[in-house]
Parts: sequence; structure tokens; C-alpha cells
Amino acid sequence: MRNWLLPEHIADILPATARQVESAKAAMLELFRTAGYELVLPPLIEYADALVSEGDSALDIKTFKLDDHLSGRQLGLRADITPQVARIDAHLLSNRTGVTRLCYAGSVVHARPSGLMSSREPLQVGAELYGYAGIEADLEIIELMLATLRQVGVDKLRLDVGHIAIFRGLAAAAGLAAEETRELFGALQSKDIATVRELVAEVAEPYKSAFLALPELYGPRQVLDKARTRLPSLPEVELGLMQLTAIANALDGQVELSFDLAELRGDFYHTGLMFAAYAPGWSEALARGGRYDNVGRKFGRARPATGFSLDLRDLVRILPERDAAQGIRVQARDLAAARDAVAALRAGGERVIIDYLGESAVALDCDRELVLAADGWQVVPFN
Amino acid sequence: MTLTIALSKGRIFEETLPLLAAAGIVPAEDPESSRKLIIGTNHPDVRLVIVRASDVPTYVQYGAADLGIAGRDVLIEHGGAGLYQPLDLNIAKCKMMVAVQNGFDYDDAVKHGARLKVATKYPKIAREHFAQKGVHVDIIKLYGSMELAPLVGLADAIVDLVSTGGTLRANNLLAVEHILDISSRLVVNQAALKLKYNTIQPVLDAFASAVPA
Repeated sequence: MRNWLLPEHIADILPATARQVESAKAAMLELFRTAGYELVLPPLIEYADALVSEGDSALDIKTFKLDDHLSGRQLGLRADITPQVARIDAHLLSNRTGVTRLCYAGSVVHARPSGLMSSREPLQVGAELYGYAGIEADLEIIELMLATLRQVGVDKLRLDVGHIAIFRGLAAAAGLAAEETRELFGALQSKDIATVRELVAEVAEPYKSAFLALPELYGPRQVLDKARTRLPSLPEVELGLMQLTAIANALDGQVELSFDLAELRGDFYHTGLMFAAYAPGWSEALARGGRYDNVGRKFGRARPATGFSLDLRDLVRILPERDAAQGIRVQARDLAAARDAVAALRAGGERVIIDYLGESAVALDCDRELVLAADGWQVVPFN
Repeated sequence: MTLTIALSKGRIFEETLPLLAAAGIVPAEDPESSRKLIIGTNHPDVRLVIVRASDVPTYVQYGAADLGIAGRDVLIEHGGAGLYQPLDLNIAKCKMMVAVQNGFDYDDAVKHGARLKVATKYPKIAREHFAQKGVHVDIIKLYGSMELAPLVGLADAIVDLVSTGGTLRANNLLAVEHILDISSRLVVNQAALKLKYNTIQPVLDAFASAVPA
């Protein structure tokens, strides 16, 4: 019986990595704390209709469901923490009318993996800002996302920014039906110009040309100027380009920046600016975020909202190697006599390991040992 | 910055050569005569990897290659997740067709609504096509020599690529329905297009300018 085999896309996190994950998580939460974000720990399981918005089939299919024998209702294992935090802001903290900043770190479970290499149990870490619609809030979140990645040692970052209101505005103005919008959205996501051309064959100008332009509007900030000449001047388009320009100005020189007006890969609930951080040698975004102003509505309070999240399980694969061995060996036979010295070293933060078998420095992962010298217990090099 | 392009041998490779030439890229060897799987070019930073046609999207999706050239048939079967498909290259053109043995009354079989046995290498395309027609099918996945299936009673019909129709005729089969026009697309890894924009965009532009009509 192979009962030790794990299911597909499920993995243990083994010793060296587990420590890295926990210390990266602690560092991130500490960064969030200093930026004023309050920590919340939403439940792993809740009613499925609270976890998944109606019509969000991508999240729905990712959510494991089970029956609740207490209520007779359907429960879901959370596949995304963002809607839970929106629920907390909309309902539990609804006596607060100002800005609320919340952050979280916890496991989510995916019935289907997001990608070929993705875990079905990502460790989602994120921060959300509610109650302010201005672009300054988007900028605060972007800068927090970049700081979070840099803090754990990812430095060569590229930030890619898009704006979903541009597509939504064009689709509404062109009078596209929901099904047509969905198909076009899919083709634009993959910059599949041949399919876009088929789908917009019957669409009136200037929208037809605008949809055909979208998949080519990506690259450095000059793209925003090109967009002004190629897209009709709808209020949503104007607002989107204005906000993208503001981001370009604010982040100029701080990070490698690119724009993509057909980048619609955010979640179902996004409404405005969307952004993702990439790093060389990585075939997926490391962190993603964006504005999602309406998620709270189904919980009774629609609030402006923007936030980002990342999968720490995924990210830990590119974190710098941990430091060389650091530890002190104490032989088991010495333990009774050295008890106080060992306690003092441990209280000082040292890692002290009791050696029962007379193992090597490599096996014990130690660089020093505790020995008895003329003037008492001494720490000396061990190899 | 280095650039890796995934290609398959044969027709796609031959018809891609003029596009590569337009981008100033010349392979150092001919994959038909070489056994190497990684082929250098006149640019030290550009290399070609030779893979099976149906593996091209996978290599590009994982980022093992930045660019790739794959048929629309292969991309539909793969699903296209994680890929950009910015350019229809108009090469390696053929048609995806339904074919039956001469004398088999396809229209009648479809009309009666009974389950049809369909042998194919392209289950996704076949399933979608018959779902749109409102016909129930049992798909039999095969890896080659599809033409044999109706002859030996394994299937009522096949869904396969047809370019000249020679193989169908030689095996007493008849194409009865056109499903899709197939040509090859340029596919790009999504992160690579963002991280290597300055390297990839000129290649894309050169390919676009050289696409045959």
C-alpha cells in the first residue's frame, strides 16, 4: 500500500524550507504592521455562497465543497482569502466608516491547481485597503507589494500594470452581450488577435478598431500615448489612461515598469487598476493585485477596495539560500553538568543540540561545540 | 538577453525559416540531418529547441522556451493556458475534417441521433464540434493512423487534419465535414514577453512583417 503518497499538487514543506517560509511570513506580517495593516485570521471553512460571488465560475470551480450537517447548507474550503477579508470589512467592521487596512496569511485550498506547477494548497499572504477610492490607495498597495517582495530578497522586479475599466467601458459602449464580452475577454487575455478579429467582425467602429488595438497595447510607458491615439475617448478610457499615467509618474525610477491594456488576468471581481510583479527566471507573476470596489456589496456594504496577494509557497522557491550551519553541539554525557550553560546559550538565541550518538558536525548541522575547559564550559569550533 | 524558440521538425520548421530570416536569425544546422535537440543560430543569444509539435505549448508555458510555433489544432487541445498567441503565421495550413468510409451514410447516422463512434488524435476539437451539432459521440483517442479505424470497424468516423486528401483517398475514405481551418501560430510565454520585451518585440514585429498572405 502506498499510503505515503500525497495527492497531485499537494506537498509537504520540509525542514529547511519550512523555517524559511515561517520567517518570511513573520517578516511580511511585521512589514504590514508597521504600515498600519491589522491582522485578521478568517476561517478555513465557511458557507460556499459567501466564498464565491455569483458568476465567478473560475473561483467556483477551484472551491472544494462539502455539506454542513449542522445547517444543511453547503460549505466551501476557501480558495481565496480576499472575499473573506472583504466580508469582514463590509460586515463585522461596518461601524468603521474611515479607511480600514487589513492583512492576512493563511492556507487556501484549490480543487484544481491554478497552473501546471502550482500547489493546490497555496499559502496566501496579502494586504487590503478599504474605504478610499483615490489612486493614492492603489499606489500605497503597489509600494507595499514591492516592499514585501524586496524585503524577502527579490530585487530585480518588473511591475506590469493594466486597467480593466478600459475594456469594460469599451464593451459597454459597443453594446456587447454578456456572452460576447466573456469570449472577447478570453481572446484578449491570450492576445489572440486572430480570434479577436473573428469576434469583433460585426462590432461597430470605433470600438472594432479599439478591440483590435488592445492586444498590441503593451510595453514601456510610450504605450499610454499610443493608446490615447488608438482608443476612443470614453470616460472609462480617459480615467484608465489618466490613472495609468499617474502610476507611471509616481513609480518612475523606482522599479522596471511596463503596461498592458489587454492584461485582464486578475480575478473576476476587479474593477480598476490591476498590477503584477514579475522577476527574471520566473514564468509566472510573483504577486498580483488590483482594485475591486464592489465585492463588499453582497455582504451589505460596497466599499472602495484595493489590495494584493502572493503565494508564499511559490515565492519561497526563489528566496536566497539559508545561512550556513549555526549551532552548538553538547554531548549527552555532559548534559547534567552543563545544564545551566546550555540554558544560558539557548536563552541567548543559540541553537544547542544534544548529541546522543556521537554524530558529525554535518549531520548535526553544527559549527561549534560545548566543552569543559579549566575555567568552566566553553564554546569552541567543531568540525 | 537569451532567447529560446521551440519548433517542431518537418513542415513547420521549413515554413518558419523565411520568418526567422526576416528577424535576422539563421539556424546553424538543419534539424532533419542533425540529431541535436538544441540548435544554435548566427546569434549567440538565440537558440532553437526541437520538440514534438504537440509539446511546443508545454515548453513555452513552463518558460523552458520563450517563443514557440504551434498549430492551431495543438493549441486548442492544449488549452492555451499561460500563453500569448499574438500572431497567426499563416503557415503549415490544412483543414480539420470529419471523414468516413466511402458508402457510410454520415448524414443519416447524424440525423438518427444515435451515439457515433469517432476516432481522433484531437478529442477536444471533436467533442466540441459534435456538441455544437447536437450529436452524442464516443471518442476513441488514437495517436496515429486514424484512417484505419473506420476500415476495421473501430469507429464510424474520424476527425483528422487533411492537407491534400491523398491518404483519405488511398484508404477509401471521404471527407464529409469541415470543422476548422488550421494554420500555425506564434506563442509567447507571458512572463517572458514582459521581462524580455526589448528582445522579443523586434522578433514579433519581424515575423508580422513577413507573414505570407
